[in-house]
Amino acid sequence: MALPMLLTDHWYDIRDLSNLTNPLLDFVGDNISSELAYILGPLIGFIASFLIFVLPSQLYVGVYGERKLIGRIQSRLGPNRVGPFGLIQPIADAIKLMQKEALTPKTADTIIMNLAPVVFVAPAVLLFAVIPFGPRMIVANVNVALLYYLAVSSLPVLAAFMAGWSGNNKYSLFGAMRIVAMSISYEVPLVLAMLGVVLFTDTLSLQGMVLWQKEWDIWVGMLMPVAFVIYFICVSAELNRTPTDIAEAESEIVAGYLTEYSGMKWGLFYGMDIGYALAASAFAATVFLGGWSMFGLDKIVPPWLLLVAKTHLFYMIFIWTRGTLPRLRIDQLMAFAWKFMLPVALANLLLVATERMLWVDAFDSKQVFLFLFMIVNFASAAAIIYAWARFLGYKPENHPTKPRLVKEAGGYVPVGREVR
Amino acid sequence: MAVTREWSGHDVAAALEAAIPGAVAKADAVACFIKPERLIEAMHALRSGAGTDFVHLTNLCGVDYWDHFEVVYHIQSFVKNQICTIKVECWDRDKPSVPSVVPVWHGAWMQECEAYDLFGIRFEGHPNLHRILLWDGFPGWPLRKDFLSMPGGLQPGLNEFSGIARREAPPVRPVND
Amino acid sequence: MTDTIKSEPFVLNIGPQHPSTHGVFRIKATVDGEKVIDAEMVMGYLHRSMEKLAEERTYTQNIPFTDRTDYLSSMSNNLGYCLAVEKLAGIDVPDRGNAIRVIMAELQRLASHCMAVGAFTNDTGAWQTPVMWCFREREKILDLFEMTCGARLTCNYMRIGGVAFDLPAAFVPAARKLVQELPAFIDEMEALLVANEIFIARTVGVGVLTPEMATNASLSGPMLRGSGIAWDLRKADSYCGYDKYDFEIPIGYRGDSYDRFVVRLEEMRQSVKILKQALDGLPGGPHSTQVPLALRPPKGEAYARVEGPRGELGYYVVSDEGPSPHRFHIRPPSFINLSALKEMTVGGSVADAIVVLGSIDIVVGEIDR
Repeated sequence: MALPMLLTDHWYDIRDLSNLTNPLLDFVGDNISSELAYILGPLIGFIASFLIFVLPSQLYVGVYGERKLIGRIQSRLGPNRVGPFGLIQPIADAIKLMQKEALTPKTADTIIMNLAPVVFVAPAVLLFAVIPFGPRMIVANVNVALLYYLAVSSLPVLAAFMAGWSGNNKYSLFGAMRIVAMSISYEVPLVLAMLGVVLFTDTLSLQGMVLWQKEWDIWVGMLMPVAFVIYFICVSAELNRTPTDIAEAESEIVAGYLTEYSGMKWGLFYGMDIGYALAASAFAATVFLGGWSMFGLDKIVPPWLLLVAKTHLFYMIFIWTRGTLPRLRIDQLMAFAWKFMLPVALANLLLVATERMLWVDAFDSKQVFLFLFMIVNFASAAAIIYAWARFLGYKPENHPTKPRLVKEAGGYVPVGREVR
Repeated sequence: MAVTREWSGHDVAAALEAAIPGAVAKADAVACFIKPERLIEAMHALRSGAGTDFVHLTNLCGVDYWDHFEVVYHIQSFVKNQICTIKVECWDRDKPSVPSVVPVWHGAWMQECEAYDLFGIRFEGHPNLHRILLWDGFPGWPLRKDFLSMPGGLQPGLNEFSGIARREAPPVRPVND
Repeated sequence: MTDTIKSEPFVLNIGPQHPSTHGVFRIKATVDGEKVIDAEMVMGYLHRSMEKLAEERTYTQNIPFTDRTDYLSSMSNNLGYCLAVEKLAGIDVPDRGNAIRVIMAELQRLASHCMAVGAFTNDTGAWQTPVMWCFREREKILDLFEMTCGARLTCNYMRIGGVAFDLPAAFVPAARKLVQELPAFIDEMEALLVANEIFIARTVGVGVLTPEMATNASLSGPMLRGSGIAWDLRKADSYCGYDKYDFEIPIGYRGDSYDRFVVRLEEMRQSVKILKQALDGLPGGPHSTQVPLALRPPKGEAYARVEGPRGELGYYVVSDEGPSPHRFHIRPPSFINLSALKEMTVGGSVADAIVVLGSIDIVVGEIDR
């Protein structure tokens, strides 16, 4: 798919930051042997995306913003001591973590225990390679980017299992077992939801999906609300965000697979957890919220800024749910994945496939039908959720109750025989 | 004004004499003293016998009166809003023993463990009588009146008691082995 | 599943250092996978031998000890002990003293239930938010305590024969303001949690206690009322003139963790109701009767109990006419409420065990004393 030439390639056009890196890349391509250039080019891209997006986001949205926002939800102030408005707090945290001794229990499997944070970090960085920040701002424009993303994003489970196993702690083992069981269950509806998107946009490339959304002036999240919701729930389960943070459930199994970690070894897990959440948010923004495109606004506002804004907005929802919801039990979580999410994902796939077939074959790919499908899909999503809440998943004993009130003390009062 | 009716010891004794003759040892204004060997029977009668339904064992504790121990039970009825005090005397200071009321009230389980822990009163028939607050092997029974006046002086501190060997510190494992 | 996969049970030590044991309490759980198949309680890490220490101090000197048993409800503890000694020595308390005691006990119940509700929701995984909200409200109540007696946690405010000081002039307006604000906070908590689908899924049917079990295991307080037994000592044995106030006893339906939670929330409403009436009808007169400093009650014994926030808080005091009690026994509600822990946790998962422990609302200082 040819990239539309939206933007100029003057170096001062910061709507596309690749204008700044392109001279460097050209220099590398011209003067260095091509084997080395293959390595250096992506490296420059990585460093650039890390500097403009990952690091500031991690520090200021992931650490500072999360603490501040959760603080406000909890009617506290949040960090406000280090620097103006506590802005230097994340850096102070990082320095503190580096100073701390990274303990290793005597009975632990030292090699695996030290290897786990490293294994955990690498995929988080790799994930950003396929996220398109702009028409040309993409480190690797792979045509199977979605497949790549899904594959790489399930790697941290391995690291988490290594961490949980090697610590030789029963709580760690609990956390490791829980995260493995949970991510296996939640991958299935996640992939099925993604399959619907792929069917409709007819591409596996993330850039292609953004361009499709740009071309038809509609977001996939609006077209397929069910897939969007399924993606959000599954990804919050895989990322261990509340209400599905059972793998590191603080009140039950202390810290799950991180129980035996301290210092910067723990800090790597913590930082990269945010990295994964940001990558998942960026992915959601790309696939469901139009990526760097925004109904023509991307001609004025730098597209990468739009993507960053969408990512951070999506991340806010994670913070919000974390601050307000209790945690599910593991069997309830598994039952939810297999008994609710999977059927719903399949139904969504069926619906989307039918619509796709109708759209291409019968409706001649007219844009107005997309809006019709949008209405149909929203209605069906509401119907599914209402039917589940009202009939299928409804249990009379789960109806919220108020206690009965009695005037006089006495013995047991059978239900229905209260003496007011 | 609803106030819990507190049965005097004589009331309880009268009720018990009707149900189980010969179970009551003596009675005073506060409490009814029951013979230890008839305790379980009597408690069953008080819990679910005719005219009494003391279904709730509120409080169970031991008291040391220098020459003997008493185990005090406060039991109450919800429906009739009554409470009464039952006592059992135990004159053997060396091996004090009282039947356990766990078969009657499950709630006695932990309170009897506590009385055993602090007074050394053995509750015969208790399913799992162990030291609940202190550790196994704690020297002596701390709530006994003679706990600190053992031969060897009034020095507080666990190693000062006669007959108890000073504990060896556990061997320290070297860090790098 | 269970026939084909062979698994080996192992012992999981929940505690003594665990975020959800609310102190140094330990459950030695034998688990088969996630399922708890046996649970044993280990306690005593905080044992300070208060009952022994109290035998060597005068009756008045013992009041600070009662603060430190259940450090989340020191006023109620003070009250229970003072009632026991008053019963033993036959001391009457003036009307104003009684009214102040009721105000303080109800404020303390609110503060303690704030803590109980917040900590319980934290155990279900609502990450700190309800706790912080509850702490915010509890802080206001503790400010009132500070205004009255200078202390926030261990108040040491009640005295034998009344209370230590009269209320300061600013107390009643401040308390009125608080009483007006509190129902909105309770509504907020209800809106956040009572109808929350996840919260209901986590708590309904978890740790069910039948009324027979609850009675037989000597439980008291919200545990008993959650199982549907209408038993409240304020109604049944109206000490301190509780019969003058109009309030109701909330009781649950099934006796599960959810019922215990909503019963606590409703008790907070009833406490607010009592507080309103007590503040309106605060009588004048002395706040305390004169009691000799070296009190020597006549020979005898007394068992007095109050409805503490966690249940029946009893004090058994035996006097031998000396200046200090011959025997001083506390009936600690959170210790005895643990009697049914094994029955409630076995068969559930580890996460359920944590929820059950949170719904009992233990204070380790009181368990170990």
